[in-house]
Amino acid sequence: MEPPEINWDKMQSIIDQHRGEKWGLIPLLQEIQEEFGYIPPTAIEPVAKALNLFPSQVQGVITFYAGFALKPKGKYVLKVCRGTACHVKGSRSIIRLMQKELNLKEGETSADYQFTLETVACLGACFLAPTMLVNRSYFGKLAPARVTSLLDHYRKSKEDKTK
Amino acid sequence: MKQISLSIDGKIVDCSAGTSLLKAAEANGIKIPRLCDHPELKPVGACRLCIVEDQKTGRIMASCVTPAAQDMAVLTDSDRIKNHRRNIVRLMMAEHPESCLVCNKGNRCRLRQVAAELGIGETRLYAMPNASPFEQANPFIIRDLSKCILCGKCIRADHELVVVGAIDYNHRGFKSRPATVHELPLENSSCTFCGTCVSICPTGALSPHAPAGDRPFVGTPEREIQSICGFCGVGCALAMGTAGDRIVEVNPSQLPGTVNKSTLCVRGHFAHDFLNAAERLTHPAIVKDGQPVSAAWEEALKLIASRFLEIKKAEGPQSVAFWGSSKCTNEENYLFQKMARVFLETNHVDNIGNFFGQSLVRRMDEQAGGKCRINRLQDLDKAQVILVLGANPTHSTPVVAYYLKRAARQGIPLVVVEPRETELVHYAALWLRIKPQTDLELINGLAGLLHPKMGDAPALIDQQTPGFNALGASSGSLELERIGRITGLDVRTLEKTIELLRGKKPAIVVGNGILQQKYGIHSSAAVMNLLLIGGGLGVTGAGIYMLAGENNQIGAMDMGSAPDLFPGREPLADDGVRRAWEQRWNTKLPSNPGFTVAGMIEAAEKGILKALYIMGENPLRSLPQPQRVKEALQKLDFLVVQDILNTETTQIADVILPGAAFSEKKGSFTNLEGRIQSFSEVVSPPGDARPDWEILDQLAVRLGKHNAYGSLEKIRTEIREFVPMYKDLQDCGQGWITETHPSAGVADTAAADSLISFSAAESADQSPDKDYPFEALLGALRFHLGSGTRSTHSQRMISFGIKGEIGISPEDGVALGLQNGDRVAIASKYGGIEREIRMEEGLGRGQVYIPLAVNGNDAMNLIGLSDLTEPGSSGLKMCRVRLSKV
Repeated sequence: MEPPEINWDKMQSIIDQHRGEKWGLIPLLQEIQEEFGYIPPTAIEPVAKALNLFPSQVQGVITFYAGFALKPKGKYVLKVCRGTACHVKGSRSIIRLMQKELNLKEGETSADYQFTLETVACLGACFLAPTMLVNRSYFGKLAPARVTSLLDHYRKSKEDKTK
Repeated sequence: MKQISLSIDGKIVDCSAGTSLLKAAEANGIKIPRLCDHPELKPVGACRLCIVEDQKTGRIMASCVTPAAQDMAVLTDSDRIKNHRRNIVRLMMAEHPESCLVCNKGNRCRLRQVAAELGIGETRLYAMPNASPFEQANPFIIRDLSKCILCGKCIRADHELVVVGAIDYNHRGFKSRPATVHELPLENSSCTFCGTCVSICPTGALSPHAPAGDRPFVGTPEREIQSICGFCGVGCALAMGTAGDRIVEVNPSQLPGTVNKSTLCVRGHFAHDFLNAAERLTHPAIVKDGQPVSAAWEEALKLIASRFLEIKKAEGPQSVAFWGSSKCTNEENYLFQKMARVFLETNHVDNIGNFFGQSLVRRMDEQAGGKCRINRLQDLDKAQVILVLGANPTHSTPVVAYYLKRAARQGIPLVVVEPRETELVHYAALWLRIKPQTDLELINGLAGLLHPKMGDAPALIDQQTPGFNALGASSGSLELERIGRITGLDVRTLEKTIELLRGKKPAIVVGNGILQQKYGIHSSAAVMNLLLIGGGLGVTGAGIYMLAGENNQIGAMDMGSAPDLFPGREPLADDGVRRAWEQRWNTKLPSNPGFTVAGMIEAAEKGILKALYIMGENPLRSLPQPQRVKEALQKLDFLVVQDILNTETTQIADVILPGAAFSEKKGSFTNLEGRIQSFSEVVSPPGDARPDWEILDQLAVRLGKHNAYGSLEKIRTEIREFVPMYKDLQDCGQGWITETHPSAGVADTAAADSLISFSAAESADQSPDKDYPFEALLGALRFHLGSGTRSTHSQRMISFGIKGEIGISPEDGVALGLQNGDRVAIASKYGGIEREIRMEEGLGRGQVYIPLAVNGNDAMNLIGLSDLTEPGSSGLKMCRVRLSKV
């Protein structure tokens, strides 16, 4: 399946807002990442031109930060915490369960671009261990049943939308 | 600058405030190891080898990025520092592949040097190889990034020195590596293959790709000898690496004060393998029964001398001509024209550099009263504003482009006047997208409107700078609307341009787009007016930078290789000048001006010219209407061609003499700045070939009463004595043209005004032609020089396989139903060619761009043969064509 199509008019208007800005590269990239979920490689050249930078410099900044991605991620980015507290509270089995349920390895995105499975070093919500993030929502005190029902919920919400 | 003092290793040193500790130590003879430091690059403190210890605080600081401070006390080699340095190098080595035995970098590797100096043979760490793809598909650069130590010099040189930006760091930590956009191979990136990164890389991560062939060279060159590049007019200083008697590698020279410093271009760096081509001429040959037969030098020279003298006796000196060479040295050009004038009594002396624009440069020189002969590129960083007219230096003279881009980055406004979107346009404060060949209107308009006395009574202005009234009167030459209509520029842009130029002393960069255009003779004069009005004459950072396309087109003219000039740009027409030369050479000299190159072809066609001696030129490839040129030269009774390669022209010669390339002889070239650079041989000429000056010297002995010079030094002594302009000609190293009319204080004075005169010529009707609806612009490609005689013999260029596709605008492409790679036939009223096309975004509708040099330089079939100084000349830059799919 193809990743969602990019609305180039929207892309152009975001770039135009920051045109000629002196230190505008990172704010501009953040906006693009926010709007499209990733930074399409074909956006590198127009961004560079708008800010009077070399395309190679723009790519350097994008690849430096983990927050910027050159490949599209899923609609739901699942970040499972593997910090100390979460580990002690059983995050490893949560991760293994999710890998099996979604048929994804760590860092991979599903073919239908619905889910991306990632792990992070700490979510800063240790009292809720084990935790995970789905996009911007925190889910704590996870147990296998809870995880399965969560994933079903997100899968269903996709189906609802396509009805 | 405030002076401060501090202690380094117990020694008290003085330096100015703000100097880095590293520089302060260096200046006082204290050596500190470093890997990422380079005198021309901003220090970044990447390698941390230059660390020093602050004795007072115990802090360890990278000395390259730490400014010295008053009363600081640092140690550069304490035990703590030594320990840290060793650990840094051990870690680098642990990550480095263990291929030192076979690495071509050899003893030039800085990592190896540093490790050896620190005594690290074994790291005693687990090896952590950092595998990276090995890239060697392009014929110029091999990238083995597993050897990269992240010093960043390649990236910094790319961004700061040549300003191309093809690579930058990607990722971070262990995965960090220099990468191109989308991590595409170099040939699919904006890399221009200048090779600056290769020369500056401290390890074997970047190395030159040996040209394909039976004996590709492996290893490091045995020795390195200095020379001067023989390609374009910048005259870069080279360090040529040799093995045996072959040149195997070229790097920028490390000598101080060169024009190119640490940069080169793809030609200078990688195209010199043409010197080892199989087509090099190695023996004299005399054509017998239509076949060239190897001959001895004695026989060949005797034949040439006797035939020339006999033809001169039978038909008169007007029937013999001498053609050469904007590529040969000053000394050779001096000898050549002297031989022609003294022994054959003819002024038919010219070279192709004059044909392709130097003749107009000479007129501008006269217009400026000879006050504008030295223009140092390094002064561009002091310019107030830079105007670039009809020039595409990123392809024709890349090192000039580096200077311009660096100046633009410094904040100096660049105004680029150019019909297509070239790379330089992206650095311009203003891009004037002018209709081709309408520059005359623009420049005249700008000059008139910027006239400092605008607002004074026109009669007064006309008195001081004649022609101004005519200019103003000629149907509103100074009206922005009219200028806009003719040039295709909008009034707002014109107003902005005038504001940008007003009150500033301009540096004007002029390329073949002006010199070779249809109105070149007027446009170049208008450019000089603009400079004079701006008060830019004789001011550092202002002036005219003429982009001489060939390595010695200026020197050739200076040495008298012109039908109406004596050496030193002295006019033949001046009786006093001629008598002085008669005295110097102890002979009578002819006073009639001779034929130009175009005139020689016409004279050959008419049967007036019977004998021609061509040295170091290839007219059958470089001139317009090549078939006509061939037929004309074939009509001659006797044609001698002296060259280094088997060319189109040697194919029709009666006698072929093998000369020597610049790397195989002593000599000097004069570059576009007026810098006279002397060099010595790097290797010997191949086979039986001889330095061209030796050939001419020996020939002159057989032509008349000539005591052979026998040595180049003797020729130089004579030049220094007889040509005051060249009294600074060195035996080794560089000198400068001596300006015979020093230009101090000419700006803004009445004297400057007297040099200005306007011509109200107008660009003729530009209405479209039904039969030939497209405007074809001819231009250079950075991979070749001129007609490509030498560069197309470079194995690397052959491997790179440049097709030189015709550029066409996407709109036109779609309208004609064309796709990239389609073959088209292009015809002008002079002839036709076939080429593949490629859509080029930066072209306007109705415009096509045709690169020169490729396909036997067949683009020349589209242009008519005419001399640029003839008012009716249609120029050599543009022609009207029609296109049809094949």
